[in-house]
Amino acid sequence: MALVEVESEVTGTVWKVETAVGDVVEEGDVLLILESMKMEIPVESPVSGTVADLLVQPEDPVREDQVLALVEA
Amino acid sequence: MSWEPEVQELNRRRHLAKQQGGPTGIAKQHARGRLTIRERIDTLLDPGTFQEHGKATATPDYDANDQPTGFVPANYVVGFGAIDGRRVVVGGEDFTLKGGSPNAAGLRKSVYAEHLAVQYKAPLVRMLEGGGGSVKGGARRGTVGEPVFSAPRFRIIADAMGQVPIASIAAGAVAGFPAGRLVASHFSVMTRHTAQILIGGPALVERALGVKLTKDELGGAHIHAKSGIVDNVAEDEADAFAQTRRFLSYLPSHIGERAPRRPCDDSPNRMEPELLTAVPREDNAGFDMRAIVRCVMDADSFFELGAEFGPSQIAGLARLAGQPVGVLANDCRVYAGAMTAQAAQKYRRFVEMCDTFHLPIVNFVDQPGFMIGPEAERAGTIRYGMAAVCAAAQASVPWASIQVHKGFGVATAAHYAPGAYVLAWPSVQSGALPLEGGVAVAFHREIEGAADPAAKRLELEERLRAARSPFPRAESFAVHELIDPRETRPALCEWIEWIQPLLEDLTGTTAFPMRP
Repeated sequence: MALVEVESEVTGTVWKVETAVGDVVEEGDVLLILESMKMEIPVESPVSGTVADLLVQPEDPVREDQVLALVEA
Repeated sequence: MSWEPEVQELNRRRHLAKQQGGPTGIAKQHARGRLTIRERIDTLLDPGTFQEHGKATATPDYDANDQPTGFVPANYVVGFGAIDGRRVVVGGEDFTLKGGSPNAAGLRKSVYAEHLAVQYKAPLVRMLEGGGGSVKGGARRGTVGEPVFSAPRFRIIADAMGQVPIASIAAGAVAGFPAGRLVASHFSVMTRHTAQILIGGPALVERALGVKLTKDELGGAHIHAKSGIVDNVAEDEADAFAQTRRFLSYLPSHIGERAPRRPCDDSPNRMEPELLTAVPREDNAGFDMRAIVRCVMDADSFFELGAEFGPSQIAGLARLAGQPVGVLANDCRVYAGAMTAQAAQKYRRFVEMCDTFHLPIVNFVDQPGFMIGPEAERAGTIRYGMAAVCAAAQASVPWASIQVHKGFGVATAAHYAPGAYVLAWPSVQSGALPLEGGVAVAFHREIEGAADPAAKRLELEERLRAARSPFPRAESFAVHELIDPRETRPALCEWIEWIQPLLEDLTGTTAFPMRP
């Protein structure tokens, strides 16, 4: 079991959070959707596991490389 | 009188030169999970093809009677070999001796590698591991330094990049001059767990800056895949060799030759149904550009370069009807595909590489413009962006652009070269500025004066959007053809046949070769 950090590839804002802490997710499942340069950018889970923490909420500004969520693999 | 005694001595020396750092040095190298330079060369090349240059090079020790007492092999190994039956030059430091820091003959051979590749017009593969020069080498008596009239040692490194393909592999700690050699390449790859690339190592950094970091923290794969110092990361040395062989398969052996076209069993007329739905009708929804590229190119032929550096821009090599081509494409999932400073640097270098080796370019355009915002201004984006625009404007290779989605602003000019063959998908939108921001700027008085400004803005956007039908572009011959996306592969494969006579004329030097 390891905690995997899910980082933002872009600077932008959080548009929607699609999962909740405790949810079981598969690799590739969309955890949340960011908005940047007028595009919706899905952030996918890099691993299969359980959502351990969500560090942002809708409308939060995020920066490149900011940790958005933790997934327990 | 026979020369038998000398021949025996020669064979003894050749044997000694192959002993590298001896059993202890070799065992240490293996314990670190790394191959020795001779094992690396044998693994990279077609079996049994290595022909070493300087088989008996060494630093000998002599006793009072001038009899040799010891023999330290040169710690750089270089020679010819074959990859997929084509001649290459391969060279690399022997880390089992002095940590790869060059001894006298080793240094000569390392400089010779570039000369050998240029002289015999063969691609160069460098296997780098070592720390470059050492201060111990500086404390000599008598004449010091190089003669004032000597040619710059780095000239050949620059010249070679305009003559033959160069691939560099970092398979251990690479610091100082070897790190400089690594980036003076058309393709570079590092192993994920056993390589680091450093200008100066941890001891130097701590002394100069008071910062204590490990080699990995300073220059591990996680740092340099993103810095763009290496194009690709390999899982292990075998993967690094496989990627190097693959990279070379798309390129000619030198600029005087055409890139090798292969027979292709993937039909040029293949039409993939999924291309019709690949771009969503909703403006803000992203899509998978790499999937589109893979659908259009010959099956399994797309080899991406530098995916993590400037990730809004995709670059790689592929084949179309067996012809090697350079592929450029925007990834709208990163900043809508905008041209950041890093994406622009990646773009310029890639265009220059294709120009140097006369590889046709196929460009899948979804360009919303240069990246904007405070970070983009601080990064100097517009300068790097214009360098990319200039590289395309002066490109000499056949060029095809497929307008997939967006094409806005000056950055879009980077996607077209002189004589470009231009195809448009029905999903194309283009203009000076994207509608959303553009309407707010151009009609700000009208919008502010309206009873409901937000509704007014939407109304104006909607009216202009309706005027952006793709059909007038086809009517006005502003594109060669508006096509069904499924027709993209057949149209491009046909274009590949049209450009064959052009490729014949292009061999030789270009006005502007690639630089690091």
